[in-house]
Amino acid sequence: MSVRLRKLLLWAVSLAVLIAVPFVVEDRYYMHILVMAGIFTILTLSWNLLAGYTGQLNLGHAAFYGIGAYTSAILAMQTGLSPWLGLFAGGLMAAAFGFLLGFPALRLSGPYLAITTIGFAEILRLVAMNWVDLTRGSLGLSGVPMLTPIHIGSWRMQFYFERDYYFVVLAGVLFTLFCIRRLIGSEFGVTLQAMRDDEAGAQSVGINPSSYKLAVFTISAFFAGFAGGLFAHFARLVSPELLALHNTFDILTMAMIGGLGTIAGPILGAVSLTFLSEALRSLEDVLKLDIRLIIYGLLLILTILFMREGLVGVIKSAWDRMKGGR
Amino acid sequence: MDSLFVQQVLNGLITGSVYSLIAIGLTMIFGVMKISNFAQGDYSMVGAYTAVFVMAWVGGWLGWIGSVVAAAAVVGLLGVVTERLVFRPLMTRWTDIDMIMVSIGLYILLDNLAQLFFGATPRMIGDPFGGTTVHLGLASTSLLRLFCFFFAGITIVCLELFLNRSRMGVAIRATSQNRFAAQLMGININQVYRLTFGIGALLAGVGGVLYGTLFAIYPTMGALPTLKAFAVTILGGMGNIRGAIWGGLILGVAEALGGNYIAMEYKQAIGFFIIIVVLLVKPSGLFGRKEGA
Repeated sequence: MSVRLRKLLLWAVSLAVLIAVPFVVEDRYYMHILVMAGIFTILTLSWNLLAGYTGQLNLGHAAFYGIGAYTSAILAMQTGLSPWLGLFAGGLMAAAFGFLLGFPALRLSGPYLAITTIGFAEILRLVAMNWVDLTRGSLGLSGVPMLTPIHIGSWRMQFYFERDYYFVVLAGVLFTLFCIRRLIGSEFGVTLQAMRDDEAGAQSVGINPSSYKLAVFTISAFFAGFAGGLFAHFARLVSPELLALHNTFDILTMAMIGGLGTIAGPILGAVSLTFLSEALRSLEDVLKLDIRLIIYGLLLILTILFMREGLVGVIKSAWDRMKGGR
Repeated sequence: MDSLFVQQVLNGLITGSVYSLIAIGLTMIFGVMKISNFAQGDYSMVGAYTAVFVMAWVGGWLGWIGSVVAAAAVVGLLGVVTERLVFRPLMTRWTDIDMIMVSIGLYILLDNLAQLFFGATPRMIGDPFGGTTVHLGLASTSLLRLFCFFFAGITIVCLELFLNRSRMGVAIRATSQNRFAAQLMGININQVYRLTFGIGALLAGVGGVLYGTLFAIYPTMGALPTLKAFAVTILGGMGNIRGAIWGGLILGVAEALGGNYIAMEYKQAIGFFIIIVVLLVKPSGLFGRKEGA
């Protein structure tokens, strides 16, 4: 079998499995976790696009998530815009903010960028808390409309249950994955990695790092906003909590544990940590101890110290060893 | 000048002196080791809880002073241990991202360990002076707050003396200027790192007792001092101790005045507005040398 065919087959099988999941797993609780895993996959993929491929640490990613969620929710509630368009409107609004934040961010790196992006998110969180007329402040917006039913001929799909949202989020993940893969594989992506590894060198062959960084900032923000819209219509509640720092920390922990600067890493990290976190939640109920985030912190530290390439790196080296032994 | 203005400036200076103390620790660690420690505020949190326990045991103003000493010891030790276990292994192959992320991991860990051990209920450090008020011309404040201000000042003076007069202090400053040259001059670099990190944490611990005296103590309190310390450090130029002293006082006063005259709800955002403006206009900080971002 040619490599190309084998890859295609692998994709087809994974897709078939993913589509079959809701028909095997009927439990609504598990479907809820899967939907959240999907939303976090989009967030982690988009954060990693910036951090993993350009080396810029954005600690305000949750702000883009929140902007997308608020935009889509407010548009649907006040103008009656279809939530389906709202998802993209949320993404575009987040992208606009990403573009604006990108300008100061161009001149900054490391701790300076980290703290500026935290500041950006905190200021927006305070705006969401205090602009009560628009956002209802810390109460948040409740009763955000569900995704509207789709009619195609006589076939009708409604969005009442977690399972329905699973398919939407799955489509969203695939859309994100497709765009990011295309981007990374293109000349654009190669340029980014060249810039990350040697910015002066890239400049010397005529690359303008600023416009590239600005573009990635904007694209990364778009997908976070898109994920925010998905969350808003799924959870039907949007609150300033979405913009809080700990959400960004969850995202970066997932990306880091999965494997920074890879495509599979963020997916692996987001899905495994969402499930781990649910498993620990049930363990907490038994032990009566809040250990979930303690384990998050420990895992993040241990990953950076002992497996810098993340889960992807571990799997890859195990695979290589297996092949070598044969 | 009306008395409200003077009162707010005084309040700002008192809070600002505590910001300075915590930020000096951060800026020292950055200057010498190039580590941006996002767990700095959690060292303050541990210091504050140490004070809660000592005060429950001894009480009175003796207990307050005892708790500062205990916090310095406990947090200094914690700093040395975390430096050895978490940061040292990365010193040889560090990137900005790794260092920041590992300190974020430490922040998540300490924050949640504290919630586990100390519970979510906020605590207060009692006033050993029984709420005595001091009048200073147009403004007044409690004796305790004034005491905090002087204590922060004394700690900073001690640090300056140590850095400028002692052999080890000079080694720390030399390493901060050029670590390779310092090594060539026979300075034991690992010892300098251990000491710098220990002192940096210790300052955050002492600052935490003062911070906890002015505000409430709860397990997740560490995030705010961390962010304030970063704001102060960027304002004063990263790695610059004098800059951190002025930066802390400026941030304290700006918050007090901004909270009073502009908008109370946005008080916590003032520091961020300031740093975004500073970074755009003068990235090396107000008191910075020619380097930085």
